[in-house]
Amino acid sequence: MEHNIIPIGIGNEGREVFWNAQGFETILFILTAVAMAIFAYGVYQRWTLWKAMGKEEIRWDQLPLRLKSLFVNGFLQIKTWKDAYPGIMHGLIFFGFFVLIFGAAFDAGEFHITEPLLGWSFNRGNFYLGFAFLMQAFGLCVLIGVLMAMLRRYVIKPERLAYKGKSDNTADDAIALLFILGIVVTGFLISALRIRVTYQETPWESVRFVSWGIATYALAGVETSTALTLHKVMWWTHTFIVLGFIAYIPYSRLLHIITTPANHFFASLKPTGYIEPIRDIENQESFGVSKLEEFTWKQIFDSDACTRCGRCQDGCPAYLTGKHLSPKKLVQDIKTHWLEIAPAAIKAKVAAVLAAEGAGVAAPVAEATEGTASGKALLGDVVSMHELWDCTNCMYCVENCSASIEHVQKIIDMRRYKVLTEADFAPELQLTYRNMENNSNPWGIGAHMRADWAKEMGIKTLAEDANVEYLFYVGCAGSFDDRGKKISVAFAKILQAAGVSFGILGTEEGCCGDSAMRGGNEYLFQSQAQANIEIMNGYGVKKIIAICPHGYNCIKKDYPNFGGNYEVYHHTEIIADLIAKGKIKLTKSQDGIFTYHDSCFLGRYNKVYDQPRQILNAIPGMKLAEMDRNLSKSFCCGAGGARMWMEEEGERINNARTDQAIATNASTIAVGCPFCLTMLSDGIKDKQQSEKMVALDISEIVIKAMGLEETKAPVDTCAT
Amino acid sequence: MNIIACVKQVPDTEAQIKVKADGSGIEDGQIKWVMNPYDEYGVEEALRLKEKNGGDVTIVSVGPARSMETIRTALAMGADKGIHICDAALDNADAFVTASALAAAIKGIPYDIIFCGQRAIDDDSGQVGAMLAELLGIPQLTLVTKLDFAGSSVKVIRPIEGAQLSIETSLPCVVTAQKGLNEPRYASLPGIMKAKKKPVDVKNAAALGIASDVKAKVAKVVPPPARAAGKIICGDDAAQKAAELARCLREEAKVI
Amino acid sequence: MAKGVFVIAEQRDGALRKVSFELASAARKLADQTGNEVSAILLGSGIESLAAELGKFGVDKVFVGDNAALEPYVTEAHAQVVAKILKDNDALIALFGASVQGKDLSARVAAKLAGGLATDCTDVKVDGGKLVAIRPMYAGKCFGEVVFNTTPGMASLRPNVFPAVENAKAGAVTKVDVVIDAVKSKVLEVQKDTSGKVDLTEANIIVSGGRGMKGPDEYKILEELADVLKGTVGASRAAVDAGWRPQKDQVGQTGKVVSPNLYIACGISGAIQHLAGMSSSKCIVAINKDAEAPIFTKADFGVVDDLFKVVPELTTACKKLMA
Repeated sequence: MEHNIIPIGIGNEGREVFWNAQGFETILFILTAVAMAIFAYGVYQRWTLWKAMGKEEIRWDQLPLRLKSLFVNGFLQIKTWKDAYPGIMHGLIFFGFFVLIFGAAFDAGEFHITEPLLGWSFNRGNFYLGFAFLMQAFGLCVLIGVLMAMLRRYVIKPERLAYKGKSDNTADDAIALLFILGIVVTGFLISALRIRVTYQETPWESVRFVSWGIATYALAGVETSTALTLHKVMWWTHTFIVLGFIAYIPYSRLLHIITTPANHFFASLKPTGYIEPIRDIENQESFGVSKLEEFTWKQIFDSDACTRCGRCQDGCPAYLTGKHLSPKKLVQDIKTHWLEIAPAAIKAKVAAVLAAEGAGVAAPVAEATEGTASGKALLGDVVSMHELWDCTNCMYCVENCSASIEHVQKIIDMRRYKVLTEADFAPELQLTYRNMENNSNPWGIGAHMRADWAKEMGIKTLAEDANVEYLFYVGCAGSFDDRGKKISVAFAKILQAAGVSFGILGTEEGCCGDSAMRGGNEYLFQSQAQANIEIMNGYGVKKIIAICPHGYNCIKKDYPNFGGNYEVYHHTEIIADLIAKGKIKLTKSQDGIFTYHDSCFLGRYNKVYDQPRQILNAIPGMKLAEMDRNLSKSFCCGAGGARMWMEEEGERINNARTDQAIATNASTIAVGCPFCLTMLSDGIKDKQQSEKMVALDISEIVIKAMGLEETKAPVDTCAT
Repeated sequence: MNIIACVKQVPDTEAQIKVKADGSGIEDGQIKWVMNPYDEYGVEEALRLKEKNGGDVTIVSVGPARSMETIRTALAMGADKGIHICDAALDNADAFVTASALAAAIKGIPYDIIFCGQRAIDDDSGQVGAMLAELLGIPQLTLVTKLDFAGSSVKVIRPIEGAQLSIETSLPCVVTAQKGLNEPRYASLPGIMKAKKKPVDVKNAAALGIASDVKAKVAKVVPPPARAAGKIICGDDAAQKAAELARCLREEAKVI
Repeated sequence: MAKGVFVIAEQRDGALRKVSFELASAARKLADQTGNEVSAILLGSGIESLAAELGKFGVDKVFVGDNAALEPYVTEAHAQVVAKILKDNDALIALFGASVQGKDLSARVAAKLAGGLATDCTDVKVDGGKLVAIRPMYAGKCFGEVVFNTTPGMASLRPNVFPAVENAKAGAVTKVDVVIDAVKSKVLEVQKDTSGKVDLTEANIIVSGGRGMKGPDEYKILEELADVLKGTVGASRAAVDAGWRPQKDQVGQTGKVVSPNLYIACGISGAIQHLAGMSSSKCIVAINKDAEAPIFTKADFGVVDDLFKVVPELTTACKKLMA
């Protein structure tokens, strides 16, 4: 087809696509095809590795939600922006590249499709001017981003790009950064050399402000012929770098361009911190995970989505107090292990299929390939027992991971193996479990004493009167711990003062089982959960209030798996509501500075961030000072994930958190969790701050502000 | 090696013990039943012996139908089979009757070593192990905190007041386990599942040919005198308080 | 008609143990109530001279079995001799000490005699001419009244409960021919605790220190008290964390769970994690200057004062009392 093409000039600004590179087309095509083939082969190979191991798991249901996750986390990258420097750095590179790729596509589209087929050169005039400017602007973004990345990785060297002082940097990191740097630098130079030659005829090219600047200043003295030659050289350099980059992607950390968004797509759609139970536990033969292939494919894929960015490690209470665990290292170690054993697993599968075909019988399941391939055991070699048990299940890593990796479920799965299958775990945790089995509380205090705190308070049990709006699920700390009982009493008084209709289960209540579940004892957890659900359903319970975020979270998210479906509230949600409705009046001024400690199981797990602060702000006289680590970046007290019942090595997490509270100059640490209360109270004592500081549950502060606090003489001391 | 471990189901240490109004015993409705903790040490030691030297572990228990749970618990820990001596006539058995029942059951099977807890935490008698040894005509080693197996004999450590005895005895013998002997294992879930299928022989008194006449009978159970509320020791100075405390510990609490 | 109230005396290294006098005194009472004599059984090697001491505490007659095979104590040997004496003399009542040795021996003897035995009694009386024994059950959560369908009625008496009352009687020695069948057990070694340091879990008395101890060197005063009481020193988690005491000394949920007869908590506030490890102790003493410390709600005896003043005074007072 013949078309009349309007020549480029003023009013029809544009650029000749293969300027000074006529005739390179064919060879460029061939090279591109080669690069794409290398890329495709790499992705295919990886694909076989992804499919090599792991149990089935459906992660492609609820498509709209998955696409939303892909858009929000994969494209907008909401989570990366939470940290300014790395957020901006990655954003500049990502969005810069995104636009540059469109630019290249425009050029290609015009040159190969619309011009030859339709005679339409759309990249002309104002469109071209805008396009050219954007290309330069976003190219500059990438350049700034990559320089920031280099500065950060090689000069600033933040701790999260290392493990215990040892840098994570690999040659791959440098190669990837150099590729990016090379692409933009050569890109700018090609344009600059072209402009150097053509600037008189193409004055509009000044919109390519970076290249124009280079051309008119740095290259001003370069001869035209030299510039033409250099342009050719630069053109090829750029081409090789771009194609090399494409080919390199599947074999490098750049693969995260694919795996990370994919992982956002496959991300769990369950509420934060939901832990998949072992279903039909009575009829299982193995429990938990001891070999890589016992994870689901998604759990393994997680490790390939990890970019070693270290956001998880940045707030991990175990890592920051010098313990062995780093969520980043854990995931990376799993990845290394997977890459070591997956090829053998594929071979074994193929061999099994061939053998089955030959023998004409059903293919036997490919047997454990571990050991033969790497000589390493997942538990012990890849993941040490220290790492496995250091985790407090605080959810910092999962909540802050910019790749939607689910660390906690993996840890619980591996703990399940140690506890259920091998029964090989800390003796102090065994004691806790026995106590829970025998007396339905972790301390092993006689189960008959569970409701002693409520004596003389006029609180009815559901057995006495089930016709109440709320069940107040007290939990073990609120029932047995003298300190915890004060919370129960305070909150019950608030409910009574506000005229809320509620009852308790009394001695029919049992331990929620959270510590058992998170400590890997799924069997015990399920028996505790089922016992509670049977009682609660028997009374037709619909709404539950818990003063302990562990019970709250567990009843809300895990009990539905066993037929317990309730509306569950934390007491701070109820108190905030009562204040808002004017049902309780906070009249007594509480002086001093308060700081609020976000409990993991309330904050990160359930996003109850506002209500506790609303309550504190409603108290007259109170000044709230936030700790540096708060809200979704709050620092764990150290008690979650069954750690409450275990000995701790090295610096104690609760002391580290107490130090953070001390830094606010607060006189009171307000908390909404009896576990946190114990840990921070201990921290205050350990840090010898008892004279200056106290930890209180929010309900206790509210009771004071309501003027309902009772001052009871402790023991009858001798009158002297 | 044929190892036997005797177990008893008892109320959990923390269980609330309510005396029946007529003083005939305790109310057992709300009680959480567990394996006697001292028996657990015995079972654990039996399992360790088996793991080191081979053989099998038989659990023997005297008790009502619910005691089967405790036998299963021991089987879940790793024991191989059980004998449950279950007979209403034995419900009020004293130590002698219990030991006779155990002896009758054990006489019918091969045994090299028999483990018992040093006492059961319900009646706190601490007699059954020694009586069993006498009824079988074999030596007893009570309150053992360390055991070394040497083929045809065992060497044990048993603490006595202010000293430790090292004793050697030939097999077969009865060993009663004291706290400190070992840390009992937590049963694995596969262990619990397997335990459901392990064989347990249920026998009654007639089958064993034993009489159920008790020699010592608990005629009446009474609640303890109400525990006095904690007493704050008064005095003008630390020396006076200390002297009064020492007196209380000796004369009232009788612990020093 | 059975006759005679017997006590099985306990001696070690040629000296009678205190419980023997307590048994003699308790037996004297029962004998007086039933119009019987008190006989003691004294076994060992070269111990005849001890009979006179028993006489001082109300023993009329002492059966002395003097034989090298009876020293040191071996269950099988002693049980044979004791059972034979009780049987030959038609004993009505036999009292043992509820010591380690007494409990070991009494049960074996009871089985030999196919008789009834009540362990660790805190009171004994006679009713209708027969022994009635009162004893704690369920770790003291209730008490049982034990009656006997066979003679002799046998009981082991808890040490330190029955007073030893001097009441001079003849203490006449009757020598017993000791015939012992093959004994399979052999005592290889007696290792005396010179340190007095029993492991926490086995200790009868524990003196424990917490955060209030202020430092590692201050534990010396607790060690001195423990030495006097023949107890063991324990620590709370705070003290172990602070590095003042080794981990093995830790009492509590994540340390050792203990149930001694006496637990003295010094400068321990009594957090639930600690209470979970020691609340089954028979007698709890709290020494703390903070009257609001939760430990006081669990204590049988509390002293609200500076532990650094109270503990040394307590050591002195106990030394005096126990001398």
